[in-house]
Amino acid sequence: MLDHAPNAKTEEMHQEETLIRMRAKIAAALAVLAAVTVQAWPGVSRAAEPGVTDAEITIGMFAPLSGPLVAYGVDPLAASRMLYEEANKAGGINGRKVKILVEDDKCNPNDLVAVVKKFVTVDNVFMLHGGSCTAALSAAIDYINREKVPYAMLNAAGDNAVFPPTKYVFGSFQGTQRSYAAAFAQFAAQHLKAKRAAVIVHDDDYGKANAAMAKATFDKLGVATVAIERIPPNISDVTAPLLKIREAKPDVILSGAYPAPAVLIAQKYGEFGMTNIPLLQSAQGIPTPSVFAKNVANPAALENFFYTWAFSDIGDPAVRTKYVDMFKAYNNGREPGPFMMSGLPSAMAVIEGLKMAGRDLTREGFVQAMEKLSLKTDAMPGLLEFGPNRRDAARTMVIIKYDGKSQKVMPGTYTWDGIEAN
Amino acid sequence: MIFQAVLSGIVMGCVYALIALSLVIIYKSTDVVNFAAGEFVMIAAYAGLLLLDHLSLNYALMVVLSVGLVFVLGAFFERTALNHIIGFRYAAEAALVPMVVATIGLSFMLKGAVRVIPATEEVLRLPPLFSGPPLFFGDLILQRQDLGIVGVAILVMVLLSVGFNLTATGKALRATSQNPRAAALIGIPVKRMRMMAWAVASGLAGISGILLGPKLLMTPDMGSVVMMGIAASIVGGFTSLIGCVVGGIVLGVVQNLVGIFISPQAIAVTPFFIIMVVLVVRPNGLFGEAMRLKKV
Repeated sequence: MLDHAPNAKTEEMHQEETLIRMRAKIAAALAVLAAVTVQAWPGVSRAAEPGVTDAEITIGMFAPLSGPLVAYGVDPLAASRMLYEEANKAGGINGRKVKILVEDDKCNPNDLVAVVKKFVTVDNVFMLHGGSCTAALSAAIDYINREKVPYAMLNAAGDNAVFPPTKYVFGSFQGTQRSYAAAFAQFAAQHLKAKRAAVIVHDDDYGKANAAMAKATFDKLGVATVAIERIPPNISDVTAPLLKIREAKPDVILSGAYPAPAVLIAQKYGEFGMTNIPLLQSAQGIPTPSVFAKNVANPAALENFFYTWAFSDIGDPAVRTKYVDMFKAYNNGREPGPFMMSGLPSAMAVIEGLKMAGRDLTREGFVQAMEKLSLKTDAMPGLLEFGPNRRDAARTMVIIKYDGKSQKVMPGTYTWDGIEAN
Repeated sequence: MIFQAVLSGIVMGCVYALIALSLVIIYKSTDVVNFAAGEFVMIAAYAGLLLLDHLSLNYALMVVLSVGLVFVLGAFFERTALNHIIGFRYAAEAALVPMVVATIGLSFMLKGAVRVIPATEEVLRLPPLFSGPPLFFGDLILQRQDLGIVGVAILVMVLLSVGFNLTATGKALRATSQNPRAAALIGIPVKRMRMMAWAVASGLAGISGILLGPKLLMTPDMGSVVMMGIAASIVGGFTSLIGCVVGGIVLGVVQNLVGIFISPQAIAVTPFFIIMVVLVVRPNGLFGEAMRLKKV
């Protein structure tokens, strides 16, 4: 009897185990069947891609909405939003509406990184769209690429963020320092027939890129660079650098200065009687032309004054009217500030990229679509383009002659051909 | 090029001298370095622009009101904050640190108050008092505003010299700064004299703001020019009014020459380098008295 009891027991245990395994298999099969059924059921959310449902695409937007640089963030972000709202009104993008979440990055690296991480880990956005300050957004680039989240810069123009190009970051929708400097140099050589050029830039990364590209383009076009003056961004007296430039006897002066030093340079240039030499100023130094002219307070200093511009609104006032009216309609009739146009091209590119990526939207698919982008818009004189190894969108500028009262677009457009400076 | 740099340096140096005078007058009367002097410069410039642009006042009235505003502001600060810190003590040594901290706090408060105004986000500039075509002296070019700056600076210095040496109030101020206890004993109202010193010094800073507003650009941070005033005071001697003038001009000229012969990027460090050299070689400055050590 003792011999039989263990055998009976073992047999019973075997049968029980087999039964348990069968039940587990049946349960697993049912679970798979249920999952497939749920996925296939029309109207049910697809969890395949963060921030994408059947009805919506969620985009996390950020800009400086407070602090001293608020003017560079509020209106450009509002301009981008209005284009998304226009797309939604027209039925959405491939049947999905764009849902926008907004945060304030204060143009500060710590705040910007915190905002980006919140969007990615808490809000699970599909992509990021924002940033007006290159120095701040550069702090988030590594994280964005690590997390493989597509990111379109709003209106930041710094070269650091797009050179070297990284997979998930698309930017410089209003040009880079390379394209500004190249445009100036081409205009100086081809239109002004300059043979000797002087360059005055800041001693930061912007300035280095500016000076290097200007010199490289001048070298290519056979123009001698007779002076390069580097000044700190907080300089309060530009007597010394302007005297040295005057001593070098250039045919043209290129300035890549920020707003305050740009005024000082134009003032001193006028005071020292250098106004027979054309002065070309990068767009970042002229946020509002009328305020610039008022600050310079010397009409003679603007007789031979030019600046770069990345948009079509000055050459075609109807373009500006169109977007200003659209802005007012979405912003309770408020007149936009001077930076509104800079918020348009990035949203235009994102909308086009989402369309090209199709209904079966994924982050990787969107990145591939953006790499094929070649978009002509009424807001820009040139194309917005990317490529497998290119992440700066706009390379074409126009040159504006400004005499303190009126602005005139000079003939032609000037495109950086991608040459690299040493 | 060098002569032009020297000429431009003398012009800026005159403005630095006025700021230095403002600092030294307060230092001589209260032993306090006024770290809010730069903000008084800034407030006067913005007040001037507001009065010109929004109230369309004429320039002369604008100058009187803007300078008057910081004159009153300085007196008010001394009478409320500093008077409270000093209490009834004639000697202010024990209250030095709190008073300096109070001036730093005032500096932040004024800057913050100006930042609240949306218009100050843009870079602004005060219209010049003297405009018109520049004056040519051979190869040298001088703006009419620059001549005006030098002229106003000289006038102010002469008036200060006359005031301190030839008027009863000026002598009372000097007595208060040399020995407050003795001054009180002979009936000089020490507290009132201190308030007056602050008012006059703040007014000087205000004049600097009206002169600087057209030359520099107006931002809430333009008060950092106080470092030029401090450097000029140290070069000339923190106890000497003449030293301030010489120190300011030396600083202005050296800055421009450094920009030409070394680099424009070195201009920003020039005042600090000069401070270090002077403190090592001649701590009293060019015209200053021997410094007394005080425990703070």
